[in-house]
Amino acid sequence: MKKFNYLHLKRTILTSMILIPLATLVLILGFGYYFFTTSLQSSTIETVKRIVADHRQMIDAFLTNRKANLDFVLNSYRFEDLTDPGELGGILSRLQKESSAFVDLGVFNSDGIHVNYQGPYKLAGRDYAGSPWFKEVMQKGEYISDVFLGYRRIPHFVIALKRENGEKSWIIRSTIDTRIFNDLVEKVRIGKTGEAYILNAEGIFQTERRSGGSLMQRDSETILKPPLHDGIKTFIKKDTTGDSHLYATTWLEGKNWLLVVRQAKEDAFKALYTASYVIAFITLAGGAGIIGLALVLTGRIIRRMERMDTEKEALSSQLIRASRLAEVGEMATGFAHEINNPLQIMKSEETLMDVLLTELKEKGELQPSETLSELEDSMAQIDLQINRCAQITQAILKFGRQGDPVFQKVNLREFIPEVTAMVKNKANVHGIHLSQEIEENTPAVHGDPGQLQQVLLNLYNNAMDAILSRHGVEGGTLVVGAGLREDGKVAIFVRDNGSGISAENQKKIFSPFFTTKPVGKGTGLGLSVCYGIIGKMGGIIEVDSEKDFGTTFTIVLPASAQA
Amino acid sequence: METMKLMLVDDEERFLATTKKLLLKKGLEVMTATSGAEALDILRTHNIHVVILDVKMPGMDGIETLREIKRAHPLVEVIMLTGHATVESAIDGLKSGAMDYLMKPADVEDLISKAEEAFEKRQRIEERIRMAQTRKTMKRPREILKETA
Repeated sequence: MKKFNYLHLKRTILTSMILIPLATLVLILGFGYYFFTTSLQSSTIETVKRIVADHRQMIDAFLTNRKANLDFVLNSYRFEDLTDPGELGGILSRLQKESSAFVDLGVFNSDGIHVNYQGPYKLAGRDYAGSPWFKEVMQKGEYISDVFLGYRRIPHFVIALKRENGEKSWIIRSTIDTRIFNDLVEKVRIGKTGEAYILNAEGIFQTERRSGGSLMQRDSETILKPPLHDGIKTFIKKDTTGDSHLYATTWLEGKNWLLVVRQAKEDAFKALYTASYVIAFITLAGGAGIIGLALVLTGRIIRRMERMDTEKEALSSQLIRASRLAEVGEMATGFAHEINNPLQIMKSEETLMDVLLTELKEKGELQPSETLSELEDSMAQIDLQINRCAQITQAILKFGRQGDPVFQKVNLREFIPEVTAMVKNKANVHGIHLSQEIEENTPAVHGDPGQLQQVLLNLYNNAMDAILSRHGVEGGTLVVGAGLREDGKVAIFVRDNGSGISAENQKKIFSPFFTTKPVGKGTGLGLSVCYGIIGKMGGIIEVDSEKDFGTTFTIVLPASAQA
Repeated sequence: METMKLMLVDDEERFLATTKKLLLKKGLEVMTATSGAEALDILRTHNIHVVILDVKMPGMDGIETLREIKRAHPLVEVIMLTGHATVESAIDGLKSGAMDYLMKPADVEDLISKAEEAFEKRQRIEERIRMAQTRKTMKRPREILKETA
């Protein structure tokens, strides 16, 4: 029988066992990753946006308040009052109470002459008519400068406001310390790298940047600027060092300064990267687990199937053997039966010839001679051979027509000694030591006692023949035993120390017409009959033998269901 | 003493012929039939003591013939001749009233000895029947006496 090729099946099982769970795993993780990253990204961006918006509001409020303070001064005092140094000093100190950011306070006439100054610098009397800021404030009514470092290297900016009264116009100007909104901006910390800074319209730093970027320096990066006063712009961009950053930018309302909040992308999306690593790890570990499990399970399934196939093969070969045995039996029976009729006729004819010969001799028509005795010898031989044929056909008929066994409970503890007693004499005559090892717990079996007896006698006779051929009439042992097996079945064994059976012959001993006995001594049917009988009783008969050492026949039968 | 009248029933004519010759030489009265129907015909017209009957025959087989014989002629003893060495077919025959069975190929001596056994049995039964009949006729006057007494 050709062995089934499992390779294709193995591949199919393995593929589906790996692909289906792996695809599910990847899909789940993929969707999870997608939604997680999307929501994480949007929440990160929202956070940055909120920080930008909050700080813009704070800085705008600061600028608006300072402007409002100056506006109040401008509208509360006449030009004459403002030119009075004592009065201006009082105003400055009141302003400084309002906000410590006010550094100084100066008054200019429309010609650009610094008419009065209160503050740490000696600026009174200077002419600013040509300065761009003066021109702008004269033209627009107000001016807010970019941040610059004064003589004392302190960052500050100025606010200048103009008042017109009839033909006369004057200007007050105050220097504002940027420390306060620097603090506001520089205090911003998001994660490890999150920071905020302000750039003017030309891209000059108005505040320090923690990750590098001093005041008044030009930012090396080109930052995408949203249109003026039009909300917040967010984007991801590589800076000059090559690191990607998440940016949020917005213009301040009171001054053309750009508030920038940025965070290194790695930092901003740290959870995202962690999630990626975790997902990658789960995918790898899960994938490895699935593949490993699939390999193990597939291996197990295939091994199991192979074993089942082997068992099936063994079973079918057993079936084939059994049916072949039955066929041979049926054929042989028909054949034997048909042979018996001609044998009967031959026998009658031979008897008649014998009678006629005797008559002739009695009448004196045949004188005793060598020829006559040869004739008689020949006829005796015919008679002998007819009887031999008859023996064979009868054995065959017995084998073929077992008939339906009559099952009943057989108590082996009584039955085996009874049968053994039948061969006791024969054993004694041949000097064979006969012993029995029947265990107390041997259960009864369900079978035909007559047939079981036939089987046992057959085994005894075979055993004794084997013993005689090896030991002669001395030194033979024959043991019969029975007991309960672990699987609940009953085992009966017949063990001899006879000549044994070669491995090759062991395969054939249950086949009909197989015999090792000399011609005319055995029909070769005994063991195949035993095989059939035990088979009908639901049992098996096995042989275990070693040449020149001995043979053990074991009969395994189901225990009787009746207690 | 009465001689045994034997009938052989078998579909093998040569067997019948040879065996008849042998049995005649032994001084027996022998008739032969090649089928069950023929055997029953002969039984109707002849007083046969013992029948040797083959189990397997075409047409009416041995067991059937045996039953018919036993029904119509209960005193006729039948010995089955069987090609089957099985106990079952023998048991079937014995259950249906055969006295004994012989397995083919059978020795003529065996056949004769079994037939003689059967014949003796038949004679014993006939003897008993005669005795019973005699007793019955013997009883009558005594009973008459008793009745009159």
